[in-house]
Amino acid sequence: MNPEDLIRLDNVAKEYVRGSERVAVLLGVSLEIAESDFVALIGPSGSGKTTLLNLIAGLDQPSSGRVFVGEEEISRLDEARLARWRTNAVGFVFQFFHLIPVLTAYENVELPLLLLNMSAARRRQQVLMALDLVGLSHRLDHRPGQLSGGEQQRIGIARALVTDPKLIVADEPTGDLDSARSKEILDLLELLQLGLRKTILLVTHDPSAAARARRVLRIEKGIIVEDRVSPTAVGSPLWRGQDAIVQELPGCSSLSS
Amino acid sequence: MLKFVLLILRNLGRNKLRTGLTALAVAVMVLLCVEMRTILGTVLRRVEAEGSQSRLMVTERWQMPSRIPVRYLPALAHLEGVEDWTTWSSYPCYLHEDRLVSQQAFGVATRPDNLIAMHAGLDKLDPATIETLKREKNGALLAADVAKDLGARIRQNITLFSAFDSSKTLRLRVVGILPVGEYPRVVFFRQDYFETATGNKDTVDIMWLRTRDPEAARHVANQVQERFRNRQPELKVETESAGVARFAGRSQGILSVIQMVIGILLVDMVVVLSNSISVATRERRVEMAVLKVLGFEPKAIMALVVGEAVLIGSASGAIGTTLAWACSATALSGLLPPSSFTRLFYLFPIPIVAIPWGMLVGALVGFAGSMIPAWNARSIKVSDVFAKIA
Repeated sequence: MNPEDLIRLDNVAKEYVRGSERVAVLLGVSLEIAESDFVALIGPSGSGKTTLLNLIAGLDQPSSGRVFVGEEEISRLDEARLARWRTNAVGFVFQFFHLIPVLTAYENVELPLLLLNMSAARRRQQVLMALDLVGLSHRLDHRPGQLSGGEQQRIGIARALVTDPKLIVADEPTGDLDSARSKEILDLLELLQLGLRKTILLVTHDPSAAARARRVLRIEKGIIVEDRVSPTAVGSPLWRGQDAIVQELPGCSSLSS
Repeated sequence: MLKFVLLILRNLGRNKLRTGLTALAVAVMVLLCVEMRTILGTVLRRVEAEGSQSRLMVTERWQMPSRIPVRYLPALAHLEGVEDWTTWSSYPCYLHEDRLVSQQAFGVATRPDNLIAMHAGLDKLDPATIETLKREKNGALLAADVAKDLGARIRQNITLFSAFDSSKTLRLRVVGILPVGEYPRVVFFRQDYFETATGNKDTVDIMWLRTRDPEAARHVANQVQERFRNRQPELKVETESAGVARFAGRSQGILSVIQMVIGILLVDMVVVLSNSISVATRERRVEMAVLKVLGFEPKAIMALVVGEAVLIGSASGAIGTTLAWACSATALSGLLPPSSFTRLFYLFPIPIVAIPWGMLVGALVGFAGSMIPAWNARSIKVSDVFAKIA
């Protein structure tokens, strides 16, 4: 494994059995993703994007092949060990936010920390920091039902960040938002990658969302058919710059520093 | 851990109506279970206790009501093996002159000196009361329900009106109240006063003999049958243990039914809780999947579901048994008017120790009821759940 790579997949295949039928979703995918990279996975529905994301995030096991994240070969871990690994190693951002409705914003963000051996004071510090990063430190006691879609997704991002994982996976994070809120969320992900050096893996159907990533992988019928660098990505000549993003994203100034 | 419990509590608070109804159903069933278990336990305990007792009831063989000539008493009292004895003369009566059926009582004339020793259930009676009864010839001990009906207090004079002979009224002075629930509708008074007041000095209805042990009781019973065979009137003797054994034999079927009903109630509770928890878990499949994604291990997901069920079960159990105990305690304190409901508690009082047991039963029911839903929650496959949403 290349020292700068965070993720490596060796000839990974995944098939599902439905009754007597075997459905092959991924057909021997090999891939490396560098640490702190921003990668978008695009492709038509049913192409295997989410399956690939699930395998990398340790939510599913490959039928064959090996998956490495950092030093860990996660394709060898059992369910309980995978769960423990996920707590520290991966942050998830979902399309439908999936916040726990009976918990406040603060408690939702605190949830993953409850699994770690951490003092209450340290937990509080981490939660407040994560909420501050997403610009919602003034919404601590609000329940998800009292927040807008964009705010809920920001809480979701804070929850993904709170354990300080190296990898953030986001499955259609803007799929349930209007264009203005989508832009905010994408800006936020971009700032996370820039400011906190997180590796971001984004599954999306939206070309404008994919254009935010440095690297774009297109999957079709279970294989990667295209692997390119986005012309508008961070550091490329068409990139609009960090200051422009920060200006458009009030409340998140702490990320720029 | 505290946060974990908080999460469980919050989950229970999601659908308050469902949680409340489930808790109510379990509480009612625990209440019924506790009462039935108390009935069963009390009956079995009494059967056992009475079965090992050594009291004999001597009555006239061929006549109802029984009339034992007083001249028989010295011979009976001095039978080999008899340790103590007393007599009963019954006096069915009314509490008021207008002879309302609802105001009936059952007067019992007996010896005052060994009243406690010869009557089960009077251990809690103050010995000073017995001393007063020994001093005052027309003293009377009233059952709690009779005292309540009469509004009678200690040292108050009362009159009992015979149910059979309106000329034979008893004028008594209340010297004590029997423990609540013991000897309902009974008024105890002295045999010698009864003889003076009614002129009945020749017979008693029942003679009770106490022996050292059941073996001695059988020996005394044999003596009674031998000595009083073919005499006029002839006597009948029955060992209490034999009577209790017969009762136990007859009631075995009923006891089995009670046991079966308790079993059914427990299964019912498990089903009710299991159903409620299953519905709640099914509704929260996505949340369970999210928790798994966040790093909750399968056993933690299981613990969440089991925790909810155990919490609701134990709380319902505590509420059910506390309610049952409160009803029992209130009935025994005499605060509730006599009814079939309160009589049930007189006969089968629920001890305070039932509350932790009720909690435990509720918790176990919750544990059993949550096993299937918890296993289902534990087995949720994250990728499947999110694939369905997508």
